[in-house]
This record gives sequence, structure tokens and C-alpha cells, in this order.
Amino acid sequence: MFSCYYCNFCKNRKTTGPFTQIPNPKSVLILPKKKKKNRAAHQYHLHLSSVAAGRQPSPLRRPLSPASSVIGAHHRCVPVKLLLPPSPAFTTVVAFSAPAFSRRGPTSFQISALKPEEEAASVAKAQKLRALQTQFFSFHHNKIYTKEAVELSAKLLEINPESYTPWNYRKLAVEHYLSQPDCNPDSIKSVLDDELRVVENALRQNFKSYGAWHHRKWVISKGHSSIDNELRLLDKFQKADSRNFHAWNYRRFVAESMKRSEQDELKYTEDMIYKNFSNYSAWHNRSVLLSALFEKKAEGFLSKEKVLPEEYEFIHQAIFTDPDDQSGWFYHLWLLDQTVTTDSPLLASSWPAHGYDVLLVEERCYNVTVECGFNKNEDLLWKPLSASNSQTARVWVAHLKIPSSDLHSTVEVSVGHSKGIISTRGFEYSHPSMFSFKVHVQPMERDFSQVSVAESISLREENFMIYGTQSEESIINSFNQLSIKNGHESTASNWRSEALAKEIECFRELKIGKLTLARLLMACDVMSYPFANKLVHSEEVLELYSDLMKLDPTHYQYYKDEHSMVLLQKVTSSKESLLQHCFQYKDSVSSAICGPICLRLNNLSLSRMGAFEKLLWVQMLDLSDNELQSIEGLEAMQLISCLSLRNNKLRSLTALEPLRKLKLLRVLDISYNEIGDHSIDTTRYLCSSPLSHSVGSESNKDETVTSDVALIDNWEAFYIFKDFNLNQLDIVGNTIADEKFKSVLVKIVPKLKQLDGKLLG
Amino acid sequence: MRQSKNPNIDNKTDKEHMFRYSQILELRRWIKVIFRWKNFALLNVTNYLISVTKHELSTQCLSPLITGADFETMESFRSLTVTQRDQILVEQQVFDIFKTFYNLPPSSQSFMLELQRENHVEYLTKGLTGLGPSFCVLDANRPWICYWILHSIALLDEFVDPELEDNTIDFLSRCQGPNGGYAGGPGQASKILDIIIVKLLPTIFCMLTMPHLATTYAAVNSLVTLGGDKALSSINREKLYMFLRQMKDASGGFRMHDGGEIDVRACYTAISVASLLNILDDELVQNVGNYILSCQTYEGGISGEPGSEAHGGYTFCGLATMILINEVDRLDLSSLTDWVVFRQGVEGGFQGRTNKLVDGCYSFWQGGIFALLKRLNSTKGVKPIPLGDGEGSGEESPQTTASSDAAGEEGLNEDLSLGGSHSKIGDQHNTSSQVNVIDIDHNHSKGHANELNGGLRDKPGKSRDHYHTCYCLSGLSVCQRSWLEDEDSPPLPRAVLGPYSNLLEPIHPLYNVVLDRYREAHEFFTKS
Repeated sequence: MFSCYYCNFCKNRKTTGPFTQIPNPKSVLILPKKKKKNRAAHQYHLHLSSVAAGRQPSPLRRPLSPASSVIGAHHRCVPVKLLLPPSPAFTTVVAFSAPAFSRRGPTSFQISALKPEEEAASVAKAQKLRALQTQFFSFHHNKIYTKEAVELSAKLLEINPESYTPWNYRKLAVEHYLSQPDCNPDSIKSVLDDELRVVENALRQNFKSYGAWHHRKWVISKGHSSIDNELRLLDKFQKADSRNFHAWNYRRFVAESMKRSEQDELKYTEDMIYKNFSNYSAWHNRSVLLSALFEKKAEGFLSKEKVLPEEYEFIHQAIFTDPDDQSGWFYHLWLLDQTVTTDSPLLASSWPAHGYDVLLVEERCYNVTVECGFNKNEDLLWKPLSASNSQTARVWVAHLKIPSSDLHSTVEVSVGHSKGIISTRGFEYSHPSMFSFKVHVQPMERDFSQVSVAESISLREENFMIYGTQSEESIINSFNQLSIKNGHESTASNWRSEALAKEIECFRELKIGKLTLARLLMACDVMSYPFANKLVHSEEVLELYSDLMKLDPTHYQYYKDEHSMVLLQKVTSSKESLLQHCFQYKDSVSSAICGPICLRLNNLSLSRMGAFEKLLWVQMLDLSDNELQSIEGLEAMQLISCLSLRNNKLRSLTALEPLRKLKLLRVLDISYNEIGDHSIDTTRYLCSSPLSHSVGSESNKDETVTSDVALIDNWEAFYIFKDFNLNQLDIVGNTIADEKFKSVLVKIVPKLKQLDGKLLG
Repeated sequence: MRQSKNPNIDNKTDKEHMFRYSQILELRRWIKVIFRWKNFALLNVTNYLISVTKHELSTQCLSPLITGADFETMESFRSLTVTQRDQILVEQQVFDIFKTFYNLPPSSQSFMLELQRENHVEYLTKGLTGLGPSFCVLDANRPWICYWILHSIALLDEFVDPELEDNTIDFLSRCQGPNGGYAGGPGQASKILDIIIVKLLPTIFCMLTMPHLATTYAAVNSLVTLGGDKALSSINREKLYMFLRQMKDASGGFRMHDGGEIDVRACYTAISVASLLNILDDELVQNVGNYILSCQTYEGGISGEPGSEAHGGYTFCGLATMILINEVDRLDLSSLTDWVVFRQGVEGGFQGRTNKLVDGCYSFWQGGIFALLKRLNSTKGVKPIPLGDGEGSGEESPQTTASSDAAGEEGLNEDLSLGGSHSKIGDQHNTSSQVNVIDIDHNHSKGHANELNGGLRDKPGKSRDHYHTCYCLSGLSVCQRSWLEDEDSPPLPRAVLGPYSNLLEPIHPLYNVVLDRYREAHEFFTKS
């Protein structure tokens, strides 16, 4: 379907592999490759000169060097009429093997140029084929599996390996034969060998035939034929086209069926790579084989410790031989991934953190939300926090009910004892760990969320005070405890750090691969972070990404995103740097000294949010004046009650989807974004599937509530805002935010007290 | 492997070596690339004349614009791998076209870029009314030829004449099996096959062949493209549904045909057909997502079957299927986006797999992925009812997909911002179309030398065919609209490439049928 059938055909003819069929000596004589090329160049230039109106044809045609001028002149002497040799032999050949030999000639010419006698010949040939087919189908329908009938199907397949009906017929014939009472192992073998021979012939005709490869698999899986021959056959095909994915697939199949060891196959990929290190198929198969070996924990592959450094050595040869070649870099990426990732997810952080005192200043005891990287307590119901409906997530949440009688209690949460917490990579969290925190329930004095009910929160410069370090019992103090240390990986990962360090050194020295270097440095930092507690290389990485943005503007956005992530990691990596972004919110009206803490990550030209594991405690977040187009992942920050996304690049209401999971959100500022600027919503698919139509019917009950609202026109707003408990919303400065829309909003969000700074009645 | 250090590298250390793509894309314009070859060349200037004679043959593969320096490049071919040599040859062929093009006065440029609609239509219609016997290799795929041709004609906003249309419908109905699905050729021998369409191939399967998913997809898309009650009602949906159920494997995937292979292609064709005909249900969808998920490789793209390497066509199929079954968020979309972005070669076109040559048909397979990531498929007029509550319902939640956009949109210039990729896709697309279109015109210029010819092809040096004509045009249509931010506004002139008359009809990127025809079919099948 993706590869052109014509081309399969012609590639087949063109290859110089073992199965090359020289189609017709005449055609070779008439159409040597070299002349074809000549002609093309020629025609092209003839045309160009006519386009240039003959004024000055020479600049186009003037060769750039004396040498090529010689050649050029030589070529240009070729008379035009040679372009289309009128010999009948030529046309016949072309007509029958058009895909292979009409490279340059216009097809219509070939078709129209068919002389009567040739046409008659081709019709005769067609009729012959038709007769064969008619006969074949009558055999097929009458379930005749005689020798003659089976041979006929082979003949058809030789002509066209893509026709799948004869393949199926042959399968039926084999089954029929096997069901005969008088068949013995020898005859079965000979029947199956016949099948293999037919497949081989068909593959010579078209080595990309899906049907033929599948038939071969079918025959082999019958188990009666010798499989050793298959590798020899594959060698031939893989020599002819080393990138043929059918052949590689079949190779994996054969290796598995004959229980050929992965080590042997590994050796084979090595040989292939030595022959042509650009052969990405071989590199890819290597990654597949190594993954399998790691999984099986095969002899010599028990740990990656020994294997991966060798692989690095191996790939260096390819990369450094020609840094321009794509294949090696991809394999390197896989290696890096293998080096960095551990199969078992780690508990990165939790809120409340271990040893932390939670102060509940609330009478109506709302649930304490406990979040952990990946974890699970038998009694707690952990829910994945992810956008999709999948049961894997990076952040898991459990809700804890604190008995109101218990004014001061210590809560111990243990995670990882039972199943169910699955990381996004599909691995289960299985390291039992525990953290505890204290809960104090205090009689309510004045709660922040109450403040917002009465007064407006204005995230303006004048309302922020530099957060003093003097505050004793601060959230930030528990910062160091946020990351839960996992001792069990520390020793095992020594070799990882070593491997990374070696790679970094190597790439630095050779000054190639800025992107790879940046990735390596970041991986190195992340790996050593829990122990070193600071990011050593972040400055360098940021610089690398800045360079890349300039050097490779085509992939600007990719580097920009990575830059944002590194920047966020840097900001959150130490208490000192984080404190620079923490401000105390001070209300202009009330003069309460102890306002809530606001994390201000404004004006950092962020294009993406990250480092959530360090920010679980944040209640007030200022992300204004950035370049955010999406706030994916923000749902992890469950405690947020006040959020500013002012002056970003959000393009649609559906981009706010993560906010739907923030149940405590009361104040939201999305003013001066690009919502409504563009009618194409790049954040979601619309009515792409009939299935999605049925899903919508569930919301009918809601529809009645807001029946007076033009729901159809504002379904996005309805979808996003209907679950919000917002008190205060700013939406000014968006194309969508006209008066009509605002009136709809007021209806959708009944609790709204303030819209764009105006109090609602 | 060769020596671990190549002398060439010393010469280049001052340059930035990153990923091959990154580095080369930055050298995108041909001038710079020519400089690069010159660097190669400086190594061995003295051998220059010798190499001229030695390499006469290989230089002839290139155009006469090659300089002496390039012969040195040829010299260094010896140390290059086969893959690299082929790559350089293609690059040079394409850049020569570019170079010539940029040297032309603007008026000629515009002429060169003009899509020769009449020629294409002529070429296509001819294909529908009769092909040479050489096409017997495609014998088992005749609905495909119908689809390629009809879809191309629809893209050019042309119609086939009513008689031909009737014949095509008739032909396809005869491909429809008694138990549903479409076979590669017509079923029961009909009366004398006097109909033009069956002249398609003089070699005709007069008997029943069995239904096949790929040809079913092609036949259904052809009929949708033809439109009209007759065409649409000729599809036996109940039987087709039964056929799809039969093809469903216990693993969740689909078989191409009875006893056939299971792969991502089969999943796409089955789900696409079911969705288009409004017969998609949970039974069909069950576990398809798991199967496709198991085919996403570490590169980011999707392979044909588990364990294989990522491939452009399969990635399109996998992604489109996941969208159709509302499970797209399960894929790692950001790595998929990265993978596709890096599949664009310096030439502007797309390669199908890592380190392969660019090919015009991937303008659609890979380019269409961008359209899918950008959600161009939002259909106007049919507004969905707001989806149910996020928790638990089968609804598709766009958070993870949002990331790829977030990542993607907006390059340096605000006005160029586009969704869906880590790069400025508009730019990408445009260049990809450039190759195609210039390529078309290269073809045309040839045509002028002889008679005018239509049709598009894989890459310069290959011959035209219907498959590439179809997918090059589809790709062009996709990229003409890739800069769009609004459904109703017409594409920008610069996005159209060439004169504005080049604008093709928009397609529905999930099914690759022209959008209007999709809407008609959608209405038809939701009604009934």
C-alpha cells in the first residue's frame, strides 16, 4: 500500500542481487542506463531555454567548470530524435516491462506507440493469462487440488505474486493434502518444499510481496520443513536489499522459530553494520535483540552494565566515521534511553512531604489531598492523574479523611505494597516505602479561600513582597524533604554515571552533537541529582539549547521546550533559587502580614511547564508573561487555588483541560491569551469518530440546566468551565471574550463572583 | 566499520554537527549545500582531471550543472556507504532542479510551478479507460487504481463523465463479494465486459476473488469520492460489517484477508472503512489500540508489526486509527512528532524510514500526520455535543495531545505559527510541496520536449505512476492548508506554491478523501 507497486516491480528488475533477471538483452542494448540519464538532462535543458525566451540561454546551460563543459557539450550533441528510439524492439520491451524501463520515457508515448502487431501480441498474452485465471478459478471453486491444478496456481503466482487468491488456494490445497489418510512425513515434506519453492520464485519476481512472505511463514509454521535453509535464503534477499523490512520481519520470525540464539543474530547485525553502517534496519534489529536479551536476563546480559559500554564503543565508530549519517544517532538515542531509564519507577516526591506538619485551618474539614509520585497504600484509593483514560500516570492521588475528633494526629502512608500504581512507561511501582506527616486541625481563623470569596485577588506587582527567609514554619522549609531518597538504586547506577561521563567527555572533545551532548548532560544531572542535590550542568545545557535555537531554526520549538524544562528544573533544584521566585502575597486592603506564598514563574519565556515533582505544595502560582501554549501536567499541582496565566499563548479553551482536575481552583486569570483567534482548535479532535457521538449523550442532564444558554455555540466553554468552582475569572484580552460570551460564562459558572475585575450581582 | 576517524571530519569540526537532520536542514538552501560538496572536494583537487574521466558515468546521472568540485565528491564516494551514495545522488538531482529554478526570472518560476491540470486529468482519465498490459502486476489491486485515479481527479476538482462514473460503480459492485468486502477484481463474470472500466486491464479475473481489506478500503474510498446515491448505496454495509468482523483477530488486530497477514495497515483500512460507513462499534474497536500501541517503536514512529522499525505509511495508519477509535492519547505523541519532523530530508520531501531516500508519496503519509496532529479534521457544521464528564467515560481527553501542540506551535515568526509539531510545520510542508511541484514541472518540462504529460512520481529520475500522482497531490493539498488557522479562510498564496490556480481541493486527512465528498458520505451514512 505504501510502496509503489510499479516500483517494487522495477526495483526487482534493477537489483543486482542474486535474483536479477536480465529482462531482455535487447532492451539493455537499446537503453543503457547511461543514455537514459543523458536524455533526461537534455530534455530538461531544452525546455528551460525555451522558457527563458531564448534571450540568453547560455547562463542556464553554461557549465560551471571547463571539465563539465566538455561533458556537457558532448551530451548536448546527442540528437533529440535519439531520445525516443523508434525501434519496435524498444517499444515492445517497454510495454511489457514498463515499470522497469519507462524511467524517462513518457508512458503515454509507449502506450500510444504500440503498433498493431504488438497490440495483438499483448492481447494474446492477456488472453492466455485470462484463460489461466478462468481455469484456476474453476479449480478453486470446485475444490480441485490435483497436481495440475496446483501447478496452475504456481504459474499465476509467478506472473503476479501480489494476487492473494492463488496463495490462499495453495494453503487450502496443502491442508487438503495433509488431511488425506495416506500421507506420510516424507510426502508432506515434499509438498511443503514445493510451496517454499513457489514462494521463492514469487519473491524473485517481487521481493516485497506481502502475500508471498506471509505464505512462507505459514508453511514454515507447519513445522515439517527444514528451517536452516531459510537463513541462507534470507542472506540472499538481504544482500539484494538490506533495508527490505519484509525480509527483516521474516528473519525475526525464522530466528524465533528455529530458536536461534539472540547472540547469533546480534552477530549478524554486527556483520551487516560493518558492511554498511548506514543500514538503520540492522541497528534497529540490534536494539530489538538487545532488549529481548535484557528482558530474558540471558547469559552475559544479566545487567546492562557490561553490555552498554561496549555498545557505546561500537556506535562511536559509526558516528565518528560520519557524523552526518542518521542511523548511528538514532541508535545512540536508544542507548541513552537504556542507560538512563530504570524499569522500576521511583517515588519522586509527595505532598505532604515526609515529616511535614499539615495545618488545617478549616472548620468544614475538606479532604487532605495526598499526592505521591508513584505509590499505593492498601487502604487508600490511589487514582491516576492523567489526561487520558489510561491507568498509567506520573502522578497519583489519594484522598484522606481526617477524623475531626483527632486534632493532632500523625498520618503514616505507605506505598508500593499492593499493585495498581503503574508508571507511564507501563511499569508497576513495587518498592514499598513509607512517609509520614502530622496533621493539626486548628479552629478556623481566617482562611485564604475565604478571603477570595470576599475580596478580589489581584496578582499585581505591588501585591507581592519578597518572601523572607525568616518565616519559620514555611512550606519551603520542607523543601529538602520533598524528594524522597531511594537508596536501593544508588549502587547499581554507578556504571550509568560512568557511562554518561565517558560519553560527555567524548562528545565535548570532538565538538559534535550539541543536542546529544545536551541530552547527556541533562541525563547526568537527573541521575546524580538525588545525591548531589544540585544540577551541575544546567547552565551549560541552557546555553546549548540557546545555540541550537539559533543554529537550527527549523526545530526551534523543540529546543525551546527543552530549554523551558531545563530552566524549570534549575529554578526548582535548590532552596535558594526557588526562594527567589517565592513571594508573599499581601493584600492591598487588609494589612495581614502573613499572606499566602505565591510562586512566581513569570517572564521566563517558558513554553512548557515541568518540574512538577518539586512544586506539589504550591497554592498560588503566577505563570504570567510566558509563552505557554499548553499547560499539560499542571493537574499534578492539586493544591492550586489561585492561578495566573495572563499574557501567554493559549489558543483555545480546551487547552485549559488540565485545570478541570484542580478542584480547589478559585481564582483564574487567563486574560490576554489567544483564545478565539483561530477557529482551528489544535488541542482536540472533533467528531472524528462515530464513537465520540455516543459519548456526548451522557451530558444531556447538564444540558437541561443551561438550556437557555446557546450551548451548541459554546460547548467548549461549557465543557471546560462547568466543573469549576471559580470565584474570580479574568478573560479580557481574548478574541472570544465579548459581552455575549461573558454572559454565557456567568450562567455556566454560577459561583462566579467576579469577572474581569467587575463584581457580579 | 572503517577507521574510526575520517579525515573529512577535521575539515568540518568548525561546523556544527548535530543530528544529521538538524545540521543539514540548516543548510537547506542549495547554495550552502553546494559549498559543502566543495569542502569535500578540496581534499583532492589534483586528481581532478583523472576523476573526470573515471567518473564519467556517475556524473551523467547528474545534470550538467555539476562543477568540477562535485567530481571530487564522486571520488569520495568510494569511502561512502551505498546508502550515503544514493542519498547524495538524490540530493544533487533535486538541488540541481532547485538551483535552476532559483536562477529563473520570476515569471518563468511561476510558469514552472504551475500545475498542468489538463495534462494530469488527461493522464488520469486515460488510466481509467485503459492501461497497458504491463500493469498486470497490479491485477489484484484494481480498486486501488480506481481510487488513486478518482481521488486525484477529485483533488483537481474535476469530474469523470457520467458514463465512466456508472461503469466504475458497476465495476466496483462486481468486486464486492457475496459475503461483504471488496476483492481485488470483479466477482461473477458479468456479461461481455464491454465496459470501459474493465478495459482497465485486458487481463481480467472473470471469477470470484476473495475480499481483501486494502481493496475494500480503496473501493469504499472510490465510491465515496464518486459520491451520489447510486455509488454510496451500492455498498452493502451489513455484509461489509460481517466481513470486518471475520477479519478481526483475537489479538485485536485485523487480517488483510482470510488467512492473511495481520498488521497496522489492516487495522487502519478496517477502522477507516467502518468509520466512514458509520458501522464502527465496540466489537471492532476492541483491543485494536493495544495492538497499535505495541507497534510504536522507541524511535517514536509506528511499525507495521511489533518488533519492526518505524515506517511512515504505518505511522500514518496507526495514528489515524488511534484517532478514529478515540485512543490517540495512549500513543507517545511527542516522540511521534519528533520522529516525523526529522523524516523530512534536505530535499524537502519525506523519507519513509530512517536513513532512506525521500519519496513523493510520503508527502502524504508523513505530511498527513502533521494534518492529523494539527486536528485539521474538525468538521464544520457537525458540532459535537459536549462530552460527558472526564472521569470514566470513554471520552477522549486531549491533555497529552495538547502537549505536542504546545511543544509545536509557533516558531520565530508569530504569523507562521502552526500546530502540531516541534517545528514550523508550514515551512516544512511548503518545502515538501516544493519538491513535488518542482518535480511535477520537471516532468512537465520533459513533457514540453515531447508531448505534454501529466502525472507525478517518486523522485526525479523515476517515472510517473498513478500511485504517486495520487499521494503527491494529496500531500500537496494537505500542505497547502497546513498554514491555515481558520477553517473558512482560503490558504495564503505562499502556501499554495506557484500560481493560486494550483490550489487543490481540501481532503479529510483521516480517510484521504476530498472533504466535500466526505461530508456527503457522512451525511448519507449517518442518515441511513
